[in-house]
Amino acid sequence: MSDLDNAIAQLRACRPIPEAQVRELCHKARELLIEEGNVVTVNAPVTICGDIHGQFHDLMELFRVGGDVPDTNYLFMGDFVDRGFYSLESFLLLLCLKVRYPDRMTLIRGNHESRQITTVYGFYDECLRKYGSANVWRYCCDVFDYLALGAIVLGASNTLSPNSEAGSAAREVEEDTEIEVCNADGDIMSQFSRLEGGASRLLDPVGSAMRPSATATNGIGGAADSSRNSGLGGAGAPSRTGPPGSGASGSSGGTVGNPAGAVLCVHGGLSPLIDTVDKIRLLDRKQEVPHEGAMCDLLWSDPDEIDGWGLSPRGAGFLFGADIVKVFNHRNDLSLIARAHQLVMEGFKEMFDASIVTVWSAPNYCYRCGNVAALLELSEDSSGLGILSRTNGDVNRSDGGVGGPRGVLMENDLAGLRSGPARRYRVFQAAPQDSRGMPAKKPVADYFL
Amino acid sequence: MSDLQKKWAKAKFNAMEFNELDEDRENADGSSGGGGGGGGSFMPDDDDSSSASSMSSTGTVIPSPARALFARPRGFPGGRSLDPIPWTTYFERELFLPSPTSPGTTHHAYLTSPVSAGPLFVMHHGAGSSGLSFAVLSAEIRKRLPTAGILAPDARGHGSTTTTTSDKSPDLSLPTLSADLLSIILLTQKEMGWPTLPPIILVGHSLGGAVVVDLACSNTLPQPQSQSLLGYAVLDVVEGSAMDALQSMQTYLSTRPKGFVSLREGIEWHVRSRTLRNSVSARTSVPALLVEEGTGGGDKGARKWRWRTDLGATQPFWEGWFVGLSGKFLRGKGGKMLLLAGTDRLDTELTIGQMQGKYALQVFPEAGHFIHEDLPEKTAIALVDFYRRNDRSALVLPPKVSELLAQGKRV
Repeated sequence: MSDLDNAIAQLRACRPIPEAQVRELCHKARELLIEEGNVVTVNAPVTICGDIHGQFHDLMELFRVGGDVPDTNYLFMGDFVDRGFYSLESFLLLLCLKVRYPDRMTLIRGNHESRQITTVYGFYDECLRKYGSANVWRYCCDVFDYLALGAIVLGASNTLSPNSEAGSAAREVEEDTEIEVCNADGDIMSQFSRLEGGASRLLDPVGSAMRPSATATNGIGGAADSSRNSGLGGAGAPSRTGPPGSGASGSSGGTVGNPAGAVLCVHGGLSPLIDTVDKIRLLDRKQEVPHEGAMCDLLWSDPDEIDGWGLSPRGAGFLFGADIVKVFNHRNDLSLIARAHQLVMEGFKEMFDASIVTVWSAPNYCYRCGNVAALLELSEDSSGLGILSRTNGDVNRSDGGVGGPRGVLMENDLAGLRSGPARRYRVFQAAPQDSRGMPAKKPVADYFL
Repeated sequence: MSDLQKKWAKAKFNAMEFNELDEDRENADGSSGGGGGGGGSFMPDDDDSSSASSMSSTGTVIPSPARALFARPRGFPGGRSLDPIPWTTYFERELFLPSPTSPGTTHHAYLTSPVSAGPLFVMHHGAGSSGLSFAVLSAEIRKRLPTAGILAPDARGHGSTTTTTSDKSPDLSLPTLSADLLSIILLTQKEMGWPTLPPIILVGHSLGGAVVVDLACSNTLPQPQSQSLLGYAVLDVVEGSAMDALQSMQTYLSTRPKGFVSLREGIEWHVRSRTLRNSVSARTSVPALLVEEGTGGGDKGARKWRWRTDLGATQPFWEGWFVGLSGKFLRGKGGKMLLLAGTDRLDTELTIGQMQGKYALQVFPEAGHFIHEDLPEKTAIALVDFYRRNDRSALVLPPKVSELLAQGKRV
């Protein structure tokens, strides 16, 4: 067993590794990350995860639900640290796995991977508490500066791979399934197919996991509507069907953009300064997250039900509307943007005709928010078409960038919605309470009037 | 931290000509966490004695060599002045505004008028405090934003605001305080002869936070004045943790001295007990909290300086102040900022709201409950940045796709 494997074993047991070992690990990780571009290319199949926030035991649950490394190819979209009580162990474990299996683990930077934020939200104090000095915090922050800003997933299939976790009765996945939502045990809670007009089928979420034929008719309305009301958060809520997470219906109306196009993964969202993926590649990322500018926006922005760009209430980044996402996806030949950054009570949330999805992977955030978490699985396109049709960011690069009709977002592109990659969401709950030692609650402030 | 500090340093040096208060601030830098003045802004990123560490809440941070160049004496104000600082150092005028709705009530407020199109920061203090709680902060704001105006009223039963009933139990219910604040704003406009209200940022500390949120949320500012509300900032109050703290509040209050022999002793107690962690703030705000009783005779050692507001008697109102605060904070229109002295003070509702990006959160772990008095500089930077972001006259967003299409551009 190598030192690295020992370190992984120790961290899996939620025990910190010695300072000298952290230093070496961070050094190796930096050498590895410096070779990566600002936008890492990842081939499907891949499992995409959102915020972790130091919830180590829930990260273990995530690995249980999504499969272990290196069997599963993981992409984590940042915010590994802060708020939870085990930021150190969580981040170091992910980093160890990155160094041990560089091709099976992709880490991109979140807004919490920053010196300024970690000094306030817990990671700095945790390092100080566990090591007695800020050295480990400093090593980790140096690694943060080298983390990629985004990832492009190529070759995601339009059909789902068979659900390997679904118990003994490994079913054939029907060709036309676009979205499948599973619980932590792999049982299917709901399914949406890409039938004409976005009509969808929904399985009875309770108790019918082994009866895939039990196609229920309830909820069809909600799901069919969702191409208009842009999915889960919609007020019309017939799409809420059963246990937490299953309410997250998503939109199966199809996606604007190349059906076999790439998926862009970024922690926050888009920036008014970034109109092509290639512009992300041009940024100088090896620095503390700035307070404004493209790099800041990528890590801070949020999609919102507005037209165009808006002021972000967060105090950094922007809000961006459906028009911005659709034009960006079209221009860059993307079928979907996957991002994290916002707490979603149902674990995931598709917006804007499934052109963007928020994935949240910290169940019961801060040990009290009561939300479920999700991860997003994209399966491999065995036909290879997905990779071939990829133009790596620029539309019509093959024709010298002059831009034919396909370079322009046509009215009928919006009408004739096509389908994005098939998506399987696995929804999971927080690990059992008793499996973690909870540090004593800080006393309340004595004066509060 | 470094970016923020650089930005702040820039603002500071740009505003060099506005340091007319420097003689009064001699020891402010020393005891505020942002200490060392300009020195802190040039610290390398990895300086682990950074003032942002919550470890420094005990005040035992050792200055780094870089900082020591600029550092002034800090810690207990031994041998230093504890003399009160008059309000005239900070504000342009005080207003006595007779209330039109409740006869016999005269609202008292401190005002510095905004210049040209500058914003007006309307600041409501917490229970037992006074408008002078914001005095040092107001000077810091105006250093960075010289056009800004500050309106800091005293609530009923506090400071120099007088009510007819002048008894010990004025009506301190939230609707009353919220209506008072509204009428103070409108009365000030009338008194000063402003044709329209300047752009307003509401700032409230503790109970005051509940008041400004209630005002911002109730939409009672009449049109077109309601257009002028840019946003609101709340200092160190969160529904969940405030409700938790209420249980131990009477115990806490019973540990406070009943009175002081002199104003100086009152100031010293606030600094020594670390209720206020900045002696300049204490010298400014404490005199308004105490009132001299029984001036006629009495022996020399008598504690004749008593608390102006009997906080214990306000207990019937406590719950009403804070119930529903988090929901209202998230619901109100306009920019929202929450400044806290510790992340653990967030309740579940605001934790969710924060992670959904509904408001801006800033945490100053080195401050006590009176953030704006302990760290007037940092609080001012945060508030000025907050105003600049929400200043509609300066806001230019990139074009919408529909606009581009309308212009015949290809998108």
